[in-house]
Amino acid sequence: MALRTKSDMSAAPPSFAVNLVDVTKRFGTQVAVNNLSLQVPTGSIYGFIGPNGSGKTTTIRMILHIFLADSGTVEVLGRQGTRSANDDIGYLPEERGLYKKMTVRRMLLYYAALKGVSEKAAGPEVDRWLERMDLTPWGKKNVEALSKGMAQKVQFISAVLSKPKLLILDEPFSGLDPVNLEVLRSAILDVRKQGTTVIFSTHNMTTAEEMCDYIFMIYRGNKVLDGTLASIRATYGEDTIRLRVQGGRAALQGVEGVEVTRDFGQHLEIRNPGDPQALLQRIAAKARVELFEVTTPSLHDIFVRIARPETKEEANA
Amino acid sequence: MRKIWTVARTEYLNAIRSKAFIIGIILLPVMMSGSLIVGKLTKDKVDIRPRKLAVVDQTGWLAPKLEARANTRNEKDIFDPVNKEKQVRPAFTIERVDAASADEKLEVTLSDRVRKKDLFAFLIIRSNIVDTAATNTVSYFTETASFMELPNWLNGVLTDEITRKRFEGAGVDQALVQKLTKPVNVRQLGLAEVDQSGQVIKAKETNRMATFMIPFASMMMMFMLVMSSAPALLNSVLEEKMQKIAEVLISSVTPFELMAGKLIGTVFVSLTLSVLYLGGAALIMTQMALTGYVNPALLVWFVVFQLLGLLIFGSIFIAIGSACNEIRDAQSLMSPAMMMIVLPMFCLVPVLESPTSSFSRAISLFPPATPMLMTLRIASKPGPPLWEILLGVLLCAAFTCFCLWAAAKVFRIGILSQGQSPTIGKLIKWVFSK
Repeated sequence: MALRTKSDMSAAPPSFAVNLVDVTKRFGTQVAVNNLSLQVPTGSIYGFIGPNGSGKTTTIRMILHIFLADSGTVEVLGRQGTRSANDDIGYLPEERGLYKKMTVRRMLLYYAALKGVSEKAAGPEVDRWLERMDLTPWGKKNVEALSKGMAQKVQFISAVLSKPKLLILDEPFSGLDPVNLEVLRSAILDVRKQGTTVIFSTHNMTTAEEMCDYIFMIYRGNKVLDGTLASIRATYGEDTIRLRVQGGRAALQGVEGVEVTRDFGQHLEIRNPGDPQALLQRIAAKARVELFEVTTPSLHDIFVRIARPETKEEANA
Repeated sequence: MRKIWTVARTEYLNAIRSKAFIIGIILLPVMMSGSLIVGKLTKDKVDIRPRKLAVVDQTGWLAPKLEARANTRNEKDIFDPVNKEKQVRPAFTIERVDAASADEKLEVTLSDRVRKKDLFAFLIIRSNIVDTAATNTVSYFTETASFMELPNWLNGVLTDEITRKRFEGAGVDQALVQKLTKPVNVRQLGLAEVDQSGQVIKAKETNRMATFMIPFASMMMMFMLVMSSAPALLNSVLEEKMQKIAEVLISSVTPFELMAGKLIGTVFVSLTLSVLYLGGAALIMTQMALTGYVNPALLVWFVVFQLLGLLIFGSIFIAIGSACNEIRDAQSLMSPAMMMIVLPMFCLVPVLESPTSSFSRAISLFPPATPMLMTLRIASKPGPPLWEILLGVLLCAAFTCFCLWAAAKVFRIGILSQGQSPTIGKLIKWVFSK
């Protein structure tokens, strides 16, 4: 297969790049993914979040048909239950997989060939991406000579070389310095601009908030969040207050209804399901208030609320 | 199929570009030719310093004989046969020591002289040396036991002189005895044939060296080709698994495509090796005029059994590699597989000596041993009947299919499994899982 032509690209894409319906996957007695339904709109950036071991990677592997679901249907790029769409999927796994003894260029051509892209067609793409990632001088060197950040970028190139319709990135930013993180972030956004649907899993909630159109959170194999960031936040309402008082956290001791969820140093974030005006009066009575802002919870807070240790203990009880 | 070839091509190119392959290819002929060259260069680098031997002769008549024989040798036998001026062997000089004082003290004195490099060695000849019932009649003392030329020469010369003395003592004519006891030499021939015109083609004398060496070398080459290729698959798969490359690959190709590609790549690496080795062997045989001893069909069967052997052992090693998480796991599972490869080596001698015996026929039809032992039998005269070879191919092919099927099942599960150390029981469970 050569790189896709414009006519291929202009063919009407399915509404959903990924459509999972009631998908369950078990390993022995352990339920890794439980009755999951998920629709990833074509052209979107979909963030997968969840604690370690919650089922993100298993879900991704089912989308790639590396694992077969025990029940339910897995439809990818309009094709159901087969690996036939895999040539149109770029994949960057959580743990990088590169041949240390191969040169960067040769390895990239090999990975492209496995996606059905001929060496002739992939060659200029490899050069273009190496240049974009500032890796041109490393093309003829063995992978083992690369730093961790460089290897990460090479792995990313291998995922996008075939111009996939769906790009799945498992923790793409882990281990990157801020400069390289920006390079990769910009590359992902460019790929999306060209029509590629992007799914990426991350533990970095700020990145997810900044980049994703949709957020999906899986916890203990169950879907606990799914929607746009705004809709998820709206579900939780404006129960979060950013607060700074003279005397800091200690000054809030004994104030009724104050539950500090995060201490940012310069300000505190507290949760208040009740009336914010009443809370402000109670705090003002005890300390001088410098900042009091009623807002929706951050994705980080929502994540922690769902996956915090108390929840686990409650669940175990 | 396209993806299988992509994997196979990369495996092949990775292997033949690797330093290990290039060194292996170059090293073998270099070592072989190097040893010949070194042998040739060092042939003339013999230590030709004279070796001085002290002789304590209690017989009184042997020392002069030894001295005379040594002188003759020093005049005639120590020079290059072509360049008569050039000395290529050390001269032996004899020093007679008074035998009257032949006791332990003398042994110490002479030993000291050897230590001081005044002597190379010394010899004590007892007076009863001619007595056939006597033992320990001659003793050779040296601190350079690795130099065998002098004691070997002494053995020959003393045996000669003592035998002559014994014949004289018995009043028997030694020349007549030697004539009457001339050994019978049995000529070993092949079989006579009749050509198309009815002419009898006389049987040719067999070349023992060639008839032994060709089957032996064929089997050893098969063993080397399997050993140099199949276990490498284990490392290759294990590396892909340990470095998390497998997950990237499996997102693009099915486990079966990956396994098949790796196996085919390895088969081509092995075929490349065999072309190089067989080409080298053909060259040597042409030089040594031994080509007449090789049946051309042997080459065809060699390649057929090489393919089957590689697929059998390749699939076993690839399955083990996919199931393991680290090299330590692999080592424990490798032993049974290595035993299967080495098994035919234990049967080499009985099959070579009697290639048509019931044991040889049965063991060569046991599929894991078939590639090597059937090759050995085909290379040995008279060779197995065609139906036995075909049966061997059939059984081996069936076993190959089973190994590929089982390996594919193990590979499918093993390649992405993590954490648990594999056991043979677990592998069998994977084979029969849905």
